[in-house]
Amino acid sequence: MKMRILLAASLLAATTALSTPAIAQDKTAGQKLDQLESRITRLEDLNQIEILQRTYGYFVDKGQWTQLSELFTDDATLEIGGKGLFLGKARVLEYMQTAFGPDGAKPGMLANHMQFQPVPDISADGKTGWVRSRAYVMSLGGWGLPLYENEYRKGEDGIWRISRLSGPFTMYSSWEGWGKNALNNTWPDKFDPPPDLPPSTIYLTYPAYYIVPYHYPNPVTGKAFKPDMDEVGAYHRPPGTPEQAAALKVGRMVDGTQPIAEPPKD
Amino acid sequence: MRRFKSMQALILATAALASATPALAQSPVSQSPEARLAAYRDRVERLEAQDAVENLQADYGYYFDKGLWDDVADLFSKDGSFEYGQRGVYIGRERIRRALLLFGPNGLAPAHLNNHMQLQSVVVVSKDGNSATGRWQGMVMLSEPGRNGVWGVGIYENKYVKEGGVWKISSLHFYPTALTDYDLGFMKSTLPMEGMSALFPPDRPPTEVYRTLPGNYIPPFSFDHPVTGKSLKDLPQPPDDVLGRK
Repeated sequence: MKMRILLAASLLAATTALSTPAIAQDKTAGQKLDQLESRITRLEDLNQIEILQRTYGYFVDKGQWTQLSELFTDDATLEIGGKGLFLGKARVLEYMQTAFGPDGAKPGMLANHMQFQPVPDISADGKTGWVRSRAYVMSLGGWGLPLYENEYRKGEDGIWRISRLSGPFTMYSSWEGWGKNALNNTWPDKFDPPPDLPPSTIYLTYPAYYIVPYHYPNPVTGKAFKPDMDEVGAYHRPPGTPEQAAALKVGRMVDGTQPIAEPPKD
Repeated sequence: MRRFKSMQALILATAALASATPALAQSPVSQSPEARLAAYRDRVERLEAQDAVENLQADYGYYFDKGLWDDVADLFSKDGSFEYGQRGVYIGRERIRRALLLFGPNGLAPAHLNNHMQLQSVVVVSKDGNSATGRWQGMVMLSEPGRNGVWGVGIYENKYVKEGGVWKISSLHFYPTALTDYDLGFMKSTLPMEGMSALFPPDRPPTEVYRTLPGNYIPPFSFDHPVTGKSLKDLPQPPDDVLGRK
């Protein structure tokens, strides 16, 4: 009996401390424990999807394509740069092995995709997760900045996997640096293999910019990000300016080049 | 992470009754409230341990950047070990304290940059909650008078131990994997690692012999594949003609 009073007291204290709504008063201890469990599970899940994304990066660094593909659900989609959509785990593996060579780290090769700055979220039912994060690419050829808006799914087996990887590019530059050189975005037929579907969005990379929609609202105001729904969705000036309106009419040329300061070198 | 603090209040308040109950990894709803609380305490302690280890390693970086060698050495357990590239292994906190002087005098010398960023952590806390492992991406920015700036990158594979309620580094192993001149870049410049010091030799030679770019090396992973659960310790290493590895 004493134990139960202590338990109730501590749970009540915790409820106040956690500043959850006061309606908790008529909940049973069991219900409060259920709530506590779901909150702990959420923290663990947030960690787990961050670890998945970081592990993805460690595998990219060392060309571990088979290990990488096993991070994905069977029906996952992958879209990187302007290359288009690859459907399913098997195609994720084919994309990596065809575009970047067979499994394994190669002498003389550096292609680090360092995974930084995650903003993870988990759905209310605990079965879906999202991460907005970036890769900072440090490679033989220079610097790169993919941005991710990825989705993760918790399987029946309780294991999280990547269900959607979308990594539009912010900027790619040679070792000369982004003050002097900007590589254009990739496009479907730039290199093998061809994608299953064309790019979901056509956009320009730096010195223009594209804002991949946020999976979450502004954390302070709660306002959702409103993507520009015009046909190009690419900006070389902030949305709402005349320059941006003009950019919407330019877009990507048929050969994949884009109007930037220097002609593409690749 | 701030939320953990308030959760900690709950955990502390219920610790007395929970301690009598064995901690279980999973807690079906059919269990008694006491058993459930014990399991939750266990899970929260693991989250707190992960948080503590992440902060410890970040702190290591902040101290190392500025040549605060005493503070760096104090983060190690008494018998902890320190291994940086091909310099060999220094064992014991006091040996580490002296070995750190090989990186420069106490306090950062003028016109030096010694940034060792601690990024992309994958921390795994042991079942008993008293030890942990961590893999980190280490981005490096160096400079010293008379030399151009240096970019570097590498991997940390570290071990941690909880002693008297305090997390410490029991083994730190930094594997630089590529170093280059700031202006030239990796295509035109690949810099080698320092070898073992003759002035203050290590207690053991390097645990793994490898070289930076243009070589390539996969520091063995401390954690298992997050989906398949398979070990990532023995991934096939790339060939190296100097080492004779095919």
